[in-house]
Amino acid sequence: MSHGVKRTREAADVLAARREKERSKLQAYLELTDDVVARKRAAVFTQECFDLTTKLLGLNPELSSVWNYRRLILLNALFPNLSPEGTFSLLQSELNFTTGALKQYPKTYWIWNHRRWCLAKVPPGPEGAPVEKSWKRQVWARELFIVERMLDADARNFHAWNYRRYVLASDPGLRSPEDELAYTKKKIEASFSNFSAWHQRSKVYSALWEEGVSEDEVRQVKDAEFELVQQALYTDPGDQSAWLYHRWLIGNGDDTAVLKREIANIEELLAIEPDSKWCLESLVHYKRLLAARSQPDEAAQLSDLKKECNTMLSKLQTIDPKRKARYQELVL
Amino acid sequence: MDTLLIEKHVKYIQSLGENTDDLMYHMTAHLRLNAIYWGLTALCIMGRPDALVKEDVIEFVMSCWDDDEGAFGAHPGHDAHILPTLSAIQILTIYDALDRADTKRIVTWVAARQNPTGSFSGDQWGETDTRFAYIAVQALELLGRLDAIDKDKAVAHINRCKNFDGGFGATEGAESHAGQIFVCTAALAILDRLEDIDQPTLAWWLAERQLPNGGLNGRPEKLEDVCYSFWVLSALSILHKLKWIDSEALVKFILSAQDPDGGGVADRPGDMVDVFHTCFGICGLSLLGYPGVHEINPIYCLPADVTRKKGLHMDYEVLGKDET
Repeated sequence: MSHGVKRTREAADVLAARREKERSKLQAYLELTDDVVARKRAAVFTQECFDLTTKLLGLNPELSSVWNYRRLILLNALFPNLSPEGTFSLLQSELNFTTGALKQYPKTYWIWNHRRWCLAKVPPGPEGAPVEKSWKRQVWARELFIVERMLDADARNFHAWNYRRYVLASDPGLRSPEDELAYTKKKIEASFSNFSAWHQRSKVYSALWEEGVSEDEVRQVKDAEFELVQQALYTDPGDQSAWLYHRWLIGNGDDTAVLKREIANIEELLAIEPDSKWCLESLVHYKRLLAARSQPDEAAQLSDLKKECNTMLSKLQTIDPKRKARYQELVL
Repeated sequence: MDTLLIEKHVKYIQSLGENTDDLMYHMTAHLRLNAIYWGLTALCIMGRPDALVKEDVIEFVMSCWDDDEGAFGAHPGHDAHILPTLSAIQILTIYDALDRADTKRIVTWVAARQNPTGSFSGDQWGETDTRFAYIAVQALELLGRLDAIDKDKAVAHINRCKNFDGGFGATEGAESHAGQIFVCTAALAILDRLEDIDQPTLAWWLAERQLPNGGLNGRPEKLEDVCYSFWVLSALSILHKLKWIDSEALVKFILSAQDPDGGGVADRPGDMVDVFHTCFGICGLSLLGYPGVHEINPIYCLPADVTRKKGLHMDYEVLGKDET
């Protein structure tokens, strides 16, 4: 699979010249691959084999079987002769090896997997040492540091975000939920369109609220969150990320006071940006939620809401024609 | 480019096995079995299922069998993994040659990938991903042995990977991604549990993947890519909401990503082509009712005539034809 590589057309002579130049490289690669596969098939587990996997994986980290072989060598030949200190040190050099590979191939699943496997193998460290000094804490703190550098390089790399969640779950003492909220906020403020950070923020709050927080507290937090979203919406009303998060905050709209307040806020933004698709789209959704919650004696209000939705839906068909069929279907 | 260059693409796919003196050919050995499945599926959809030598392909598939494990690797000598195992089963299904494989051992191996939480690992080393859940479910259904796993637990795990935006991620807590949405939606379709999906929300999110240039992205505020034509469209097709995007604009985008000289389809116009994007671009066109191509069944990403013959799930939408 190639992504984002520009197409070039090689003339026959250029192609031939390139292949000629690559011939020795190809030969060496094939010989190394055959050698490693043969040793693996024969279940040879030695330092020499280990070094060959280092060489081969350096050339091609997509070879999952070679990562598997490398782990078998560690388990069968290298770990058994090592003290816990020695094992720890070897695992640290494994982690460094994968760090190098990830710099070059940040989206290769097998590299991330090998890293996770190494971390699970880290011995607990000297008995009686305080948590902060334990080997586990040392490695997890480093993992967090590395994955944050990777998110600095590509703030949307989902491998890195998934890995980050795994690091935090593995050592809950590393970061409090408050730290994590601060981190996601930093990411969001660096770029409002970083939906990965908004998503993570929704997960942190969901987990906190599941632990049993009063409705009042949730409302207070949400009010502050609505303000953060508002900033993003005013910065670029065409950016989906903040609108999605706004929808998460509203949820099913049971809090009709908040729902009405937010509708009013979006209508204010719409007055400034009359052709904002996302303002209209969100207003339709929220007014439909409100309509679904109207009481039997509010027939007039219900009829108004329906009319307003239908007017907005017909405008949406003009300003967002790609999704015209959806807007037509939503007309009441 | 306003037409699908079928002849060029057929030649391109046929030529893929001939580049054995190219380094890139060998560097992608880990995708070989998948690549054959992508190529063969694209050929079937273009109405040229005989463009590869059937017996050679089957022989190659069988050479990828990992007899220690009882499943397929991506290439001879590679370890078994659930990804190439599904490709092998799909290729053998298309060629009606499942009797060549030790399906009993495959069923045991695939079922053993289910974890106590209901999730599935890719191999004995334990990486979990909703892709593997879909693969296990499809593989077992193609082998007629969906009973070999705990279906309720599988469904419960997929549901735990669901997000507020209606989409699904790779693991619990992970961000929604069109590729993961395809696998989760299709797995739930096979497991007869589509009612577990928040369909209006998910279909809305999927429709919002379309960008002004007609192409589809895989997550909010990301770039378009031809492969999402299939991930997004397949889910919309299963939800019967294909009309929620502008199909004309998407057809144009896919066609513009063709290589008019060498054949094949790229991720974006002007980029290098590969068989992965060629397959998913053409499958996308099939769902959009592009004239002259055969029907793909998006639930399995297999030719519809193959799944019809096997009596598999056929409830999905294809544009321009009466709903199936």
